[in-house]
Amino acid sequence: MDARVNAPNMVNRSKRLMNNLEGYLFIGPATILIAVFGLFPIAYTVFVSLFRWRIIRGKFIGLANYAELFGSAGWLLLFVLSIFIVALGFVLLRKKRARQGVPDPALFRTSAAFLLLIAGLAGLAFSLPALWTTGDGNVFDALRVTVYYSLGTVPVQLAGGLFLALFFERKFRGRQVYRVIYLLPYIVPTVASAAVFQVLFSLRPESFANLIVRLLGGNALGWLGDPHGIFGMAFGWGKVASDANPVVSYWASWVRGPSLALTAIMIYNYWVFIGYYALIYANGLANIPRQLYEAAEVDGASRWTMFRNITVPLLSPTTYFLTMLGIIGTFKSFNSVYVLRNNTIGNAVDTLSINIFYTFFSQSRFGYAAAASLFLFALVLGLTVVQRRLMEERVNYGE
Amino acid sequence: MANDGLGRGPSIRRTRVRRMFALHLLLAVGGILAILPFLYMIANSLKTYGETITRVSAIPFSPLFWPRVPQWKNYADAWQSGALSHYFLNSVVISTVTLLGLYATTVPAAFGFSKLRFAGKNLIFTLLIATLIVPETVLLIPNYLVIARLKWIDTLAALTVPFMASAFFIFLLRQFFNQIPNTILESARIDGSSNVGIMLRIVTPLSTASLSTMGFLAFTGAWNSLQWPLVVTQTPKWRPIAVGLTTFISEASAQIHLRMAAAVIALIPVAVLYIVAQRQITEAVTHTGLKG
Repeated sequence: MDARVNAPNMVNRSKRLMNNLEGYLFIGPATILIAVFGLFPIAYTVFVSLFRWRIIRGKFIGLANYAELFGSAGWLLLFVLSIFIVALGFVLLRKKRARQGVPDPALFRTSAAFLLLIAGLAGLAFSLPALWTTGDGNVFDALRVTVYYSLGTVPVQLAGGLFLALFFERKFRGRQVYRVIYLLPYIVPTVASAAVFQVLFSLRPESFANLIVRLLGGNALGWLGDPHGIFGMAFGWGKVASDANPVVSYWASWVRGPSLALTAIMIYNYWVFIGYYALIYANGLANIPRQLYEAAEVDGASRWTMFRNITVPLLSPTTYFLTMLGIIGTFKSFNSVYVLRNNTIGNAVDTLSINIFYTFFSQSRFGYAAAASLFLFALVLGLTVVQRRLMEERVNYGE
Repeated sequence: MANDGLGRGPSIRRTRVRRMFALHLLLAVGGILAILPFLYMIANSLKTYGETITRVSAIPFSPLFWPRVPQWKNYADAWQSGALSHYFLNSVVISTVTLLGLYATTVPAAFGFSKLRFAGKNLIFTLLIATLIVPETVLLIPNYLVIARLKWIDTLAALTVPFMASAFFIFLLRQFFNQIPNTILESARIDGSSNVGIMLRIVTPLSTASLSTMGFLAFTGAWNSLQWPLVVTQTPKWRPIAVGLTTFISEASAQIHLRMAAAVIALIPVAVLYIVAQRQITEAVTHTGLKG
């Protein structure tokens, strides 16, 4: 009896084992390569970051690299805590908004949310300048540049892409020609196209950008060779005495705005990405059911109302995708900034990844660069988690 | 004037014509902005050194935008003087070898994750996909140390082997393989085909479009790669065109005509591939953009 029951079981088990083995053979080579060059390095970076490591491994120094990066542990703690408090405030505020229409019995929740937001922002307002002065000022300058780079590129690319996409949506003669042209800046090697923009936006009076400026009646500008903040240049914002309080001088560096050089790099980004965003948006538009617009038209909705209440909400998955792609992209981007970076302007355009690269490549400070790269990784990871939450919470999938 | 019999034909047609005109006008302006830097690059690559300073214009319709006499020898100069020819050939080899390795590992892996059953499949797949969010900068230092330990600095292996597998392309191909109905595979199995046979004789021929798109994206990715080659090439021996171009443009600094000629040379292979396969690539990028 037993033998009869067990025999097929044995056959099944060995068959399953064979299936498993065969599966592993198929995925094996790729999995091993990715594990070696994509997964294992994360752990190895942590290891490297605990050493004084210049080309060859030196002394084990524990968290000293991190101490150099962030300065005092107390301010770092306040910084992280403030971010959490701000996030918490946002979550509370959203919950309130989600139930719009229904009067919220707990009024105190809103006020609590605002209190949390204020407390968190105040924590940031003081901890960031403290990290900037006690920690590695260059890294926190790079963080500011990176944030400006994101804020200056992503919204413009979204708006420009959506605007173009509205014209792209219908089928018409020559559509494919436009598609090919609009995708071209995204497709060609960054190194080559950045080499062109390096010339277009050079500080020479006969450069392309300066010809345009002069056509418009302005004076030639320094473009990629100018490290000054654009708000400072245009409106005189953010002027401080050299002996000012660190909190003031830190926030003044924000008020002066992104450098003109970084602005030129942003313009390069618009050129590369707006066409790409337009094509992706056009694809999203094509997926919106025609009937919705027809029904709204019957109800007498204006074009703007339809855009506001049908197009924008139903495109929100695309918008979130492009937003996060753009933000994380600026945190990772290397090639364009590396080529467009002018050596004479210090760290005015150095994003975090560029800053870390030079710490590693030019100064050969492997351990310290590893610690800084983990800081970058933590930021990208945090952004990804936020993206996931927002996608789940708010994205309208057009149900 | 034509009339549709309802007395409003001409005006409707006129608004439609006007609307089409506005549409094309706007799209054409955008298109000109998109190709303007390319025109500038080509125009200046054909100028003399003096013309890049004195004969300038921001408007491509102006003759000043273009050279008086095209200086084709600029290309020969750039090709020879900066050792650009050497870097170019390096990049052809590097990109091709990477691509072949990528096909060899990615096609079976995507097939396995899509069509085979084995223990731990979802866990392994999730782990692989998780590597996609890791910034290249984070991997740079440990991978450099590994490559140095293997004594691979300044070798072809350092530039190709780490990129011979890609979670992104496994993900992409798996999406395509998932669309192939399992019933086809089942009937092949009944006829005695092995999984390798099914992969090579059924799945691969059915996905030539996605495989060639992947080929294009991988080739351009390798061609464009800069950060990693900067770190693992210390001599010109295996230095790729991206690194060669950045050194060339800093050495040729004032000579814009040579810099532009070098940039044209560096983007030609990608541009040619793009134009040849444009329909497929625009389709793929717009549709998979949402999934990548």
